[in-house]
Amino acid sequence: MANLLKMTEICKRFGGIQALKNVNFDLNEGEVHALLGENGAGKSTLIKILSGVYGASSGEIMYNGQVVSITDPAMACNLGISTIFQELNVVPELSVAENMMLGREPVKTFAGFIDRKTLRQKCKEVLKTLNVSLSLDTPVNKLNTATQQMVEIGRALLIDAKIIIMDEPTASLSEAEVESLFQLISDLKQKGVSIIYISHRLEEVISICDRATILRNGEVTAMCKKEELTLETIIKNMVGYDVEERYPKEQNPIGETVLEVKNLSSNEGLFSGINFEVKAGEVLGLSGLVGSKRTNVVQAIFGVDKYDEGEILLQGEPVPSGSVEKAMQMGIALIPEERKIQGLVMGLSIKKNISLPLLPRLSRFGVIDQKEEARVAEQMKNKLKIKAASLDQEVQDLSGGNQQKVVLAKWLYVTPKVVILDEPTRGIDVGAKIEVYKLINSLAAEGVAIILVSSELPEIMGMSDRIIVMSRGRMTGTFTSGGVTEEEILACAFETKGRC
Amino acid sequence: MKAHNFLKKLPQYGLPIVTILLFIFLSLASPYFLTGYNIQNIARQVAPLAVAAFGQAIVVITAGLDLSVGATIALVSVFFAFGTLNYGMLAGIVIALIIGTTIGLINGTLVSRFNISPFIVTLGMASVARGIALTMTGGTPVHGMPPEFAMIGTSSICGIPTPIVIAFLVFAVCFFMLMRTRLGRHIYAVGGNKEASRLSGVKVDWCIIKVYLICGLLAAIAGIILTSRVRSGQPTLGDGYELQSVAAVVLGGVSLYGGRGNLVGVFFGVLFIGILGNGLNLLDVSSYTQQIVIGIVLILALIMDSVLLKQEKALKSAPPENTPPKNAS
Repeated sequence: MANLLKMTEICKRFGGIQALKNVNFDLNEGEVHALLGENGAGKSTLIKILSGVYGASSGEIMYNGQVVSITDPAMACNLGISTIFQELNVVPELSVAENMMLGREPVKTFAGFIDRKTLRQKCKEVLKTLNVSLSLDTPVNKLNTATQQMVEIGRALLIDAKIIIMDEPTASLSEAEVESLFQLISDLKQKGVSIIYISHRLEEVISICDRATILRNGEVTAMCKKEELTLETIIKNMVGYDVEERYPKEQNPIGETVLEVKNLSSNEGLFSGINFEVKAGEVLGLSGLVGSKRTNVVQAIFGVDKYDEGEILLQGEPVPSGSVEKAMQMGIALIPEERKIQGLVMGLSIKKNISLPLLPRLSRFGVIDQKEEARVAEQMKNKLKIKAASLDQEVQDLSGGNQQKVVLAKWLYVTPKVVILDEPTRGIDVGAKIEVYKLINSLAAEGVAIILVSSELPEIMGMSDRIIVMSRGRMTGTFTSGGVTEEEILACAFETKGRC
Repeated sequence: MKAHNFLKKLPQYGLPIVTILLFIFLSLASPYFLTGYNIQNIARQVAPLAVAAFGQAIVVITAGLDLSVGATIALVSVFFAFGTLNYGMLAGIVIALIIGTTIGLINGTLVSRFNISPFIVTLGMASVARGIALTMTGGTPVHGMPPEFAMIGTSSICGIPTPIVIAFLVFAVCFFMLMRTRLGRHIYAVGGNKEASRLSGVKVDWCIIKVYLICGLLAAIAGIILTSRVRSGQPTLGDGYELQSVAAVVLGGVSLYGGRGNLVGVFFGVLFIGILGNGLNLLDVSSYTQQIVIGIVLILALIMDSVLLKQEKALKSAPPENTPPKNAS
């Protein structure tokens, strides 16, 4: 395979901080090369240098055998380097074809009208090579995330991209969609397109990538070939020490039933016939594809959404429909899926975020007891090892892992009876993940009933006592976690009719 | 990190400096500016705007907007005058306050329960309120109130003009409410992120209703002061207050995107607009031209708001990978 890209001795400084130090990275034609590292290791900085967002402080980029200096994103685009970001870059109201050709619409020389015929022709060709059947006129907001991603990949191919950078491409995809993305990636490889693949999901990296470069604190710690790629080596090089176990599940004594969900259905038909119970000290895993309405079920339990039929009982007491306040008072806590949108007020300080759900208890006649507030925040900061200069720091300045700890801190000052964690480790690095797992263990040991919602099968299987699988708003399988295989869970996740 | 902190505080320090510079400039430019009479005059003029702007600020912090402030003042003025004529002054005040709060309640309910843009709701409400005021009076001022009617606007308490005393009381109460109470914290939280607030058990709808209600109440207080000052119920009173209050709020560093800002900044915003208006009068700039100036100032303030937000974001995204110290534990 011919060498396509070679980045040598790349350094980047931001003020006094050395973000990248003598980083070497190379990419062959038709290769999938993973770029790994914890949050803050320097992956994004390297990618941004390659795509022209930043200039490097020093170092050399060779592209197709020539030294290039990529000064702005448009230039990267012209060279055939295309980036697909985690947050997709599509205009929701425009159609598939319009999105694919956005900014590069073929124009008839006369009067600058858009040449619709050529536009559609080109898009069709690309979609055909991608093996996607898709109407060109569908507005993109009608498509799911996976298909939107296809549209972006199509756009990259339209500019004849030689290198496609994929930043966490599977973060919001279901297992099935991940499969078809991988199929697409291997098709692209066949066509000689090279891919730089960034992901926190290490199992995926091992299965899809030809090589992996691992960064830590701005330096390359390892460059592994396919045959050297194992979880242990990757993690060791990422975190800098040996991690004995990725899922440090502890067996806790399981007590009385705390939460009972009986025949729960939503009025909009989102989900129906949901039956389960969670006992004290038990971790119940809730698995299923994206779109299986797992989140809707847990939001109904927490009173975010209303439910129509059925019953939710907390230690025998009915939990009313549609009242977060009541659910909170009864001892239910929800760590929501979207940390930035649902979990935190980004512009407020760590202290004020932690105290937000606690204000009723921290205030008298509506006036906040500021000393008590500071004490509670300090206590939670120490307990959850939140790394921050001060409690008055705004949460938007924290890393993803620390932000997630702030969300957890909000709900754990008063030990709840039931904790629902919806994708608690999405987008956070291995070190922070393990801290979240340890927290789950210690909560279970305190006798809290835990519902863990996750798209990552190894996580669900590694951390739960029992697993419920959902598909299209119905329960399709229940397993005890010992002995169940990924295949069995996936089989239930793909099912359309319930068998329980 | 330092530059970023400085930028964040720039609007807070920048405005007082600009206000002082304007003050010095006007003292030199006009012999009438720096006189005891004129300073007191500015203070009296500024007080009702301050009261209305504090209400506006509270709404804006929740990422809302109240464009019905001016019209509320007009309707309050008319009801205050008619109420006083028919039932006496105390009743007139109570009726006026009820009218202002009711308008706020309707605004808040429409915005929160029906999820309509506050811009449109309050613009519509402004038309309704002003229309009612004009219909009730046939477009002419209401006269014939007893002499004590003018007391609120023209008297002094311990040598300080009553409107200023009222404005400071309102400031103190609102400041305490925003900084120290649960409602205040909810206001910032809702402005910063509605969804996260709701999931933290904050009753977002109620919070928004309360905020518009407070704004309506404060507009009513501003209306009472103004009406008392002109000794008549005026269906055209408060014209331009919606824009001036928004200008003061944005100048004062409260972000229209919500969740940020404090009343000290708004206080300086009001002062700046008051001094600017007074100075332009003294320099014989026509009231028509003054409208142009206020409009330009508002737009400049908005540009500043948006540029600062962008800069802050840029500063944050520049070294996103390096901010938190990493150590293995």
